[in-house]
Amino acid sequence: MSLKTEVTQHTASLRRYALVLTRDATAADDLVQETLLKAIDKADTWQPGTNLRPWLFRIMHNTHISDLRRAKTRSDAAPDLPDPVVPDHQHTRLELKQVLQALDQLPDAQRKPIILIALREMSYAEAARSLDVPLGTFMSRLGRGREALRQIVSGIGKGKLSVLKRKGSL
Amino acid sequence: MTEEPTSNQDLGLDGDLLAYVDGTLAPEKMAEIEARLARDPEARAATASWRHHDNLIRQMAQAADDLPVNMRIAALERDLVAKLQARKRRAFLIGPALGRIAASVLIFAAGWGAHSLYGSATQMAGGAYPQFVAATLTGHQVIQQASLQQAEFLPEQLDEALDWMSAQMQRKIDSPKLERLGYQVETARLISADTGPIAIFHFRDAQGKRVTVSITPHAPGQSDYKLRVVRLDKDSMAYWTDSDLDYSIIGEVDVGQITTLAAAVRE
Repeated sequence: MSLKTEVTQHTASLRRYALVLTRDATAADDLVQETLLKAIDKADTWQPGTNLRPWLFRIMHNTHISDLRRAKTRSDAAPDLPDPVVPDHQHTRLELKQVLQALDQLPDAQRKPIILIALREMSYAEAARSLDVPLGTFMSRLGRGREALRQIVSGIGKGKLSVLKRKGSL
Repeated sequence: MTEEPTSNQDLGLDGDLLAYVDGTLAPEKMAEIEARLARDPEARAATASWRHHDNLIRQMAQAADDLPVNMRIAALERDLVAKLQARKRRAFLIGPALGRIAASVLIFAAGWGAHSLYGSATQMAGGAYPQFVAATLTGHQVIQQASLQQAEFLPEQLDEALDWMSAQMQRKIDSPKLERLGYQVETARLISADTGPIAIFHFRDAQGKRVTVSITPHAPGQSDYKLRVVRLDKDSMAYWTDSDLDYSIIGEVDVGQITTLAAAVRE
């Protein structure tokens, strides 16, 4: 695979990841741009022959952490998604909203492993490398995060779904 | 089937369950985990939820593929490719870290078996031999000054190596032609020494015997060296000047063979 093709694929992955992190298409593209700018600046830190994807994602993580404006965007956000892609079904839309709300309640250290692995674009080891943590730490954060997410969604879901059922929406 | 709910267990720390959900579970474990899930409703609910949440998150992420093309991102992507390609080229040329250079030079100086050679070389540095020969053989002198351009090339990169070495030395460098004598090039290197850049070619024959050839620009104002052949303990060496370049060749061979090899290099 040529370097150009590789970078194009990774940029698309960064955009997907950024959209989940920021919940906003404009903020996601801003984050990707900032990441690419930093990658250009840090190109000499990339070791040829090593996987480019974890290197780029690590830059995005550092960029995201240091950008307080985007933290605010995330906390304010409701899902802002192109209609044709997001399921129209009201139940699915509600579930997605619950999951995103629950994700926001998790610490960053658990949220990012969950999103990275959900995207199915990196192995555990690559994802751990992109977060600069040992594999064991990554697995523990992923597992604990998933369980915490499940518990939170379950708590949110019981309340909201019961309201929908009473209204006869489901 | 009797269900055996597990309680008080941290399902999230179960690596097998995580791997099951992520499709990375070893095939030989699959039946075992499926049997466990069949009798453990809590683990079954957990894995189903994890998978479902992953699907929802992925669905949202994929919405990015339908966002309009961002021209600024496309431009940055091109710039990044250009920078990474430049990085690759540079790494290819500069490649070896100082440690590797040090190791390579020591291989040259001592790899002939040869504390004895190293001793001879050290003695030669202050002796009657030309400086470029001493610098090549005396590893530490080369290492101390090896802070400028250095590169290492494999046999398949030889054409590129010769072009680059020629550019660095501002003279046309040809590969020593030792193949017809049964030697194959293993690596080509360029190092910086007190005497200037030195191109070093390592060869080996079918029996594993090694020969090294070094080429460096002849110092201006100095008279040319006539071919001289020297016996060094287990090795033999020859050096000479030809067309503004100084050559030296050393190998685990006798004086007659080193003369033949030197003649092949001079052709």
